[in-house]
Amino acid sequence: MSTIRVPTTSSRWLTLKRRRQIAGVIFALPAIALVVCFIGVPVGQDVYYSFTQWDGQTATWIGLSTWSQAIHNPNLWTALRNNGLLLLSVPFALGLPLCIAVLLHQRVAGWRIFRTIYFLPTAISWVVLGLVAERFFAYQGTLNSIIHALGFSHFSTNMLGYQSEALVALGITFIFTMVGTNTMLFLTGLATLDPTLEEAARIDGAGPWRIFRSITLPHLSRFIQLAFVMTVIALFSALFSLIFVLTGGGPGYATTTVEYLIYETGFNQGDFGTAALYGLILFVITGIVGVVQLRLIGSNE
Amino acid sequence: MTKIATTLERSDSTSNSLGPVKKPKRVGRWILFAVMMVVAVIMLYPFWVMIVTSLKSEAQFLAGSGFSWLSWSRLTSVIPIGQEVLSSTIVCSASIFVIVLVGLPAGFAFSKLRFRMSTVIFLLIVSAMMVPLQAILMTEFVNITRLHLTGGYLGAILVYASLGTPFSVFLFTTYFRGVPDELVEAGIVDGLGYFGALWRLVVPIAVPAIATVTVLQFIQIWDDLLVGLFFIQNTSQRPITVGLAVLAAGRTTSIPELMAGSIISALPAMVVYLGFQRYLVKGLTMGIDR
Repeated sequence: MSTIRVPTTSSRWLTLKRRRQIAGVIFALPAIALVVCFIGVPVGQDVYYSFTQWDGQTATWIGLSTWSQAIHNPNLWTALRNNGLLLLSVPFALGLPLCIAVLLHQRVAGWRIFRTIYFLPTAISWVVLGLVAERFFAYQGTLNSIIHALGFSHFSTNMLGYQSEALVALGITFIFTMVGTNTMLFLTGLATLDPTLEEAARIDGAGPWRIFRSITLPHLSRFIQLAFVMTVIALFSALFSLIFVLTGGGPGYATTTVEYLIYETGFNQGDFGTAALYGLILFVITGIVGVVQLRLIGSNE
Repeated sequence: MTKIATTLERSDSTSNSLGPVKKPKRVGRWILFAVMMVVAVIMLYPFWVMIVTSLKSEAQFLAGSGFSWLSWSRLTSVIPIGQEVLSSTIVCSASIFVIVLVGLPAGFAFSKLRFRMSTVIFLLIVSAMMVPLQAILMTEFVNITRLHLTGGYLGAILVYASLGTPFSVFLFTTYFRGVPDELVEAGIVDGLGYFGALWRLVVPIAVPAIATVTVLQFIQIWDDLLVGLFFIQNTSQRPITVGLAVLAAGRTTSIPELMAGSIISALPAMVVYLGFQRYLVKGLTMGIDR
């Protein structure tokens, strides 16, 4: 940048620099304004309203009462537990795409068509995928048809109807919705892998598993980290449409996650203050995960 | 110069790896192929369900056999599908327009026209990417309502635009960092001025980045439920995802008709997806694979 501008005189250089800065501020201002007004300010308001009793119209300052009420509210702990249990699906949401990406990378006949097919569900709305998942898990759905076709005609499941199983159904649907994106990430990672490395290892007598462990996996580590962070963030903040269509948070609170509890508390119970507080909790959780991601991006630069 | 050399080298090795990596043995390849077919069947399952179910009447669906076009012919009377697609299109295109309009100059500023504190401000904007809408849902909802913007599309457009802007700023900034300073410098010195340089030089250079932002945001916004559900209060202006979700949650609409609606909702996103796959991949791996 500075090496180019050597010949100009110092006074001209100053005005040019000043004008450049002013132009920069003008160009950046709309973006800054938009983000401050519609993201920054609401976060600040979240903090304020979390200390109030608020119905969306009038807010009364009640200090830490909202907080102590929230902490003693079993629904919050149920929602946090549900989020925690859903974390168990993350290894599958990463492991399956990793296997699929490695398979695609072998480039058997028609691999491009397979790749397109595998990514296709990524394009559709989670509302639609939720509708389809409902058809799959429903009592008269595909899952029971498969079970009956396998000969277990006396055995039927109704996963969405039972508290203990509905969350499993949600987790399975979540894994399915993440497969496309994560496979895409891993495949991109594999494409940047130098094939001569694998070749050299093979000549040295390394088996496929050894090559995968010692060359492929370390090479993919950054992509796996990124996929991990994206998957966890999605798990905390993108399940709304899936839950809305699939279970409505139920039965009871069995599939209510923190993000769904915010909607439930605010819009169904009209308790905006507590909902704002839950929002703050969600903000902190995703913030922690987000810091990890920023560090990942930053370490590359 | 060295930078260009390494870039060339890297792209070279990438294109190499696109060739056959190895030739596994015959039997192994067939097993591989079979496994991939199984995965393909699973991934195509949603489409199969949508298509087959939509081709039944409600009675046929409950009976589990038979085919008819009834759901499709009744579709517009059950779901105001035309209006909903139009709403989705309006909200989507207006939001993307704002996201690019605001993000491109900002990205240019943060990469080429650095000012005091610009790095800090840039990092703050990028960190706003991590704020999920649910976290600020209540306050945002009350703010937009107080501004009387929930009646039409404007509230939803503003919310989508502000949620998409951090990513677009990040993407444009990263993109422009890869453009040599001299190119822009020359234009400014040549008397184009800053706005002229932006419009005549920077925008044409940025076409691939604009495409990436557009494709990613299109799929994101077209498929979204939350914003449309809360920030468009007028039921006759509902986007298609909201229409489907509300009918589905009501559990009174016949499922074949919902599936027909789902197909209509899925088609545009799939077309964009198939047509612009490489931009999607580029956007997803932004910041890690450069």
